[in-house]
Amino acid sequence: MAYTEEELKKELETKEYEYGFYTAIESDTFPKGLNEGIVRAISKKKNEPQWMTDWRLEAFRIWEKMEEPDWANVHYEKPDFQAISYYSAPKKDPNRSLDDVDPELLAMYKKLGISVDEQKKLQNVAVDIVVDSVSVATTFKKTLGEKGIIFMPISEAIQEHPELVKKYMGTVVPKTDNFYAALNSAVFTDGSFCYIPKGVRCPMELSTYFRINEGGTGQFERTLVIADESSYVSYLEGCTAPSRDENQLHAAVVELIALDNAEIKYSTVQNWYPGNKEGKGGVYNFVTKRGLCENNSKISWTQVETGSAVTWKYPSCILKGNNSVGEFYSIAVTNNFQQADTGTKMIHLGKNTKSTIISKGISAGKSQNSYRGLVQIGSRAENARNFSQCDSLLMGNECGAHTFPYIEVKNKTAQIEHEATTSKIGEDQIFYCNQRGINTEKAIALIVNGFSKEVLNKLPMEFAVEAQKLLEISLEGSVG
Amino acid sequence: MLKISDLHARVDDKEILKGINLEVKAGEVHAIMGPNGSGKSTLAAVIAGKEEFEVTKGSVSLDGENLEDSAPEERAHKGIFLSFQYPVEIPGVSVTNFMKTAINESRKARGLEDMPANKMLKLIREKSELLEIDRKFLSRSLNEGFSGGEKKRNEIFQMAMLEPKLAILDETDSGLDIDALRIVANGVNKLKSKDNAVIVITHYQRLLEYIVPDFVHVIHDGKIVKSGGKELALELEEKGYDWLKQETVV
Amino acid sequence: MDLKDKLVSSFLAFEDKVDVHNPVHDIRSEAMKTFEAKGFPSKKEEAWKYTSLNTLQKIDFSIFPKEENALEYNDVKKYFLHEIDSYKIVFIDGIYSSYLSETTHDGVDICLMSAALTKPMYKQVIDVYFNKIASKDDSLTSLNTAFSREGAYIYIPKNKMPKKPVEILHLATGNEAALMLQPRSLVIVEENAELQVIERHQSITGNEVLTNSVTEIFAAKNAIVDYYKVQNDADTASLIDNTYINQKDKSVVNVHTFSFGGKLTRNNLNFYQNGEYVDSTMKGVTIIGEKQHVDHHTLVHHIEPNCESHQDYKGIYGENATGVFNGKIIVDKIAQKTNAFQQNNNILVSDKATINTKPQLEIFADDVKCSHGCTIGQLDEDALFYLQSRGIPKKEARALLMYAFANNVLASVRIPELKVRINKLIAKKLGVNLGFDL
Repeated sequence: MAYTEEELKKELETKEYEYGFYTAIESDTFPKGLNEGIVRAISKKKNEPQWMTDWRLEAFRIWEKMEEPDWANVHYEKPDFQAISYYSAPKKDPNRSLDDVDPELLAMYKKLGISVDEQKKLQNVAVDIVVDSVSVATTFKKTLGEKGIIFMPISEAIQEHPELVKKYMGTVVPKTDNFYAALNSAVFTDGSFCYIPKGVRCPMELSTYFRINEGGTGQFERTLVIADESSYVSYLEGCTAPSRDENQLHAAVVELIALDNAEIKYSTVQNWYPGNKEGKGGVYNFVTKRGLCENNSKISWTQVETGSAVTWKYPSCILKGNNSVGEFYSIAVTNNFQQADTGTKMIHLGKNTKSTIISKGISAGKSQNSYRGLVQIGSRAENARNFSQCDSLLMGNECGAHTFPYIEVKNKTAQIEHEATTSKIGEDQIFYCNQRGINTEKAIALIVNGFSKEVLNKLPMEFAVEAQKLLEISLEGSVG
Repeated sequence: MLKISDLHARVDDKEILKGINLEVKAGEVHAIMGPNGSGKSTLAAVIAGKEEFEVTKGSVSLDGENLEDSAPEERAHKGIFLSFQYPVEIPGVSVTNFMKTAINESRKARGLEDMPANKMLKLIREKSELLEIDRKFLSRSLNEGFSGGEKKRNEIFQMAMLEPKLAILDETDSGLDIDALRIVANGVNKLKSKDNAVIVITHYQRLLEYIVPDFVHVIHDGKIVKSGGKELALELEEKGYDWLKQETVV
Repeated sequence: MDLKDKLVSSFLAFEDKVDVHNPVHDIRSEAMKTFEAKGFPSKKEEAWKYTSLNTLQKIDFSIFPKEENALEYNDVKKYFLHEIDSYKIVFIDGIYSSYLSETTHDGVDICLMSAALTKPMYKQVIDVYFNKIASKDDSLTSLNTAFSREGAYIYIPKNKMPKKPVEILHLATGNEAALMLQPRSLVIVEENAELQVIERHQSITGNEVLTNSVTEIFAAKNAIVDYYKVQNDADTASLIDNTYINQKDKSVVNVHTFSFGGKLTRNNLNFYQNGEYVDSTMKGVTIIGEKQHVDHHTLVHHIEPNCESHQDYKGIYGENATGVFNGKIIVDKIAQKTNAFQQNNNILVSDKATINTKPQLEIFADDVKCSHGCTIGQLDEDALFYLQSRGIPKKEARALLMYAFANNVLASVRIPELKVRINKLIAKKLGVNLGFDL
């Protein structure tokens, strides 16, 4: 998806959130509010088996007793959970064949820059697209099927592969885990399911594109990725939403399971609507992402977070198996009134486990950007290693950068290194670039790119370009 | 080419340049010498348009065009190049990427298309050989962890890439051992032509053995107190700056 | 009756002994209300996540000691830095011992809090400084404020410097089965003045002691304060130390904390940089074993521009010991050109030891240099091998390396005799026989 300088320039000129369009698709939306009836209705709408309905109801009862957490370094008006509609689906029955897809939807994909049939031809990426509550199209299903790879909406997986879903769902992020995870467990409407069989290297990137379209709705998707023994998969996730004055809630759960010798690479480019310049509107992004590593396995999280009004997100790894590896590479950009509290947890349980954390926070405007992380070495985790680096870049004098790393070590053989720095873009750096003929705007983009490079390098090529572009757009106008 | 008339500049409340007059024509090499704190580096920065310095009087013009309202990058586009005394580090940005951006920005300003990648590569190869720069060096982050010599060589490499009309070398010799000095000077000499000009700012005569100036100017307390041919540099080397200071007092 | 109830009801008895018409008493009553409302902190609170006061609260502490507990100088000499001459403010079971003390009013005031709080001549200073920088929200600080009556009072006027360092020694005799102490000290160092203080809490016997101490330190323009805390108490003694430091323009305050002993030690060290070009340094060495628990909570609040702070904490944890380090740096929006550095390095030498560390930055200004680094690891194997190859047995080599690890924090100790003392303490703690004095 190479784009030219010219395109970039045009985009820089428009300054506004470019994914802020709303597509008028006829949709089937539930009344607002949440109770047992709604949970049952969602389950019924999805034609779910009884075990799934029970699972949801149990989660709902747990959620009812929980309180919304307030320990994160973010301040916002708590969502009214009774003012949200928990189900919204494009009305025409989601078709599996692209030819039957609502033309309005196809037009929307084009706007998203992920035109489905084009992707099919040009790129080796299989896409699942979730609009509001429902998965609307999954590509490449057949090619993948030949290798025994299952890649489908989770709602379908519940029907077609109940044994896998039953076995793994909720094992990494239990219903009781936290307020939003419990809520998601009760009301999730769709999401992606992926299973890579033993010994299979997934031949292409798997990708899910999430889109909140309808107003007054929340999006609660659930993703479950299982990499069976000695398999490999690289998974991409992208998100956008229309520009709306209201705050929309997105509470997703992602569970990754890497069995012995397996590897999962999970990359996210999160660009939910961040709200306008005055801080009105924007998505509340409260997400629970966690992976479980068995022996000799590896889970790598890479995220570029540029969107959302409020982000609360800690993609984590439970390094249960011996010799397992967890990685977290993150760029979080906040501008205007955005608030992000993001980081990771690396829980070392097995022997010889290793984790790496590289976090780059960039704050501009009046935003607040926090890194919050936990590195925990259990008493039996012999020879655990962790390296963490958290760098913050501040642009302007009205934003904040915060670091809250928790390190808990119960084993003497552990080796932990944590470093954090805070800096700003130097006047001398800008002048140096200016002197070489590079204007200030471009110089900042260049410097920010350099600052983020360690993380950008971890993204698959297709995403790296988009991510760089996003970085520039997100910081547009942040320096006077 | 460059004309500086009665230039006064200050930083905060301190006046540093107190009436500089200087004219540099195409094909010429000028050396500006003077003791520490005399205003040499300030003059270089003011020509390049650093905003920290406020021009209170006088003007700098290039090819007859007053540069007063030109931003630093516009001056660069017009062909002014400053080799920094202390080159700045930009972590994560490779020398190659930096040069690519700089060249294409300059081209854009002149209404040209981006330089095609193959041409760019060829240019980089050519110029890095001129400065005896290892290719691996080009993929390292700009000036980060560079030795003093590497930084200076990198500055002249950039000069070679950008082919400026007027190059100002601000204390390029400081921190260079004799081999590096020879390479750098050699590079500058090869880039010299009848169409461009070089201003060499230095404290010592050493560099001028390699880059031979047509004119030597001595700055003291924000003014050019003496100008002459290349023999003036030798005289300075011998006598130091004190006799000039006394002369000005008298 | 639990400890909180006991303390609350004891307050009435306490009021019988103090002048309730003194304005300070309004401050006490207010603080009591805060403590009553908040009680002892629990692990649910972020600041107490890793340190539990539950078991301490189950002990039946005496709130008021028996009066007049005499000790002979020879019995306690070793707790003083007796190699040098010093002013001494000594308390035995919380009660001032004039016999062991050496105070002064010669140009400077090095004396007692009880006098400062009651005598009219000090009223002006007390009005301006007492309980001004100490937290009014913190429950344990409030508890101390409520019972504030005795402690050290030091006032160094403009351009003065006492002839010798001041030693503040809190001794506990063990005459009670379990005793709670709440010393309250106030240190004021005026413009261009200088002061050195060594503070120590020491229990003589194996009876339980819980000390909840509050010290307020005010450093005026250009003042220099060196404050050394020697924490090498008996393993039945617990300490909650709350120190609040207010710094004005160009002042320099260095606090060193040496934590080798005690059952549970919690240091709340708070710096407020209320001036420009302020320099704050906090250093710590912690070497503990058995079931000891040491928790360092530091706060540096950069309020004004152009200031610096330096933190360097080293810890070695053996047996079942638990270490906590929580270093918070806040840089306010206007505090441009701040340089704030923090280092926390730890070594675990036992399978059952634990370290929890949380270096924390909250930055609201952009033109700042802030960094923190933290490591948890082992001794350098190459260095160990090098020493062994020179004939030093492994055990000694290990001890020597640990000694080197901890000892480099001492470079900034400015009282040579104290440095030697701490050196020896570290060596002893680690079982190193140096064979030479450093």
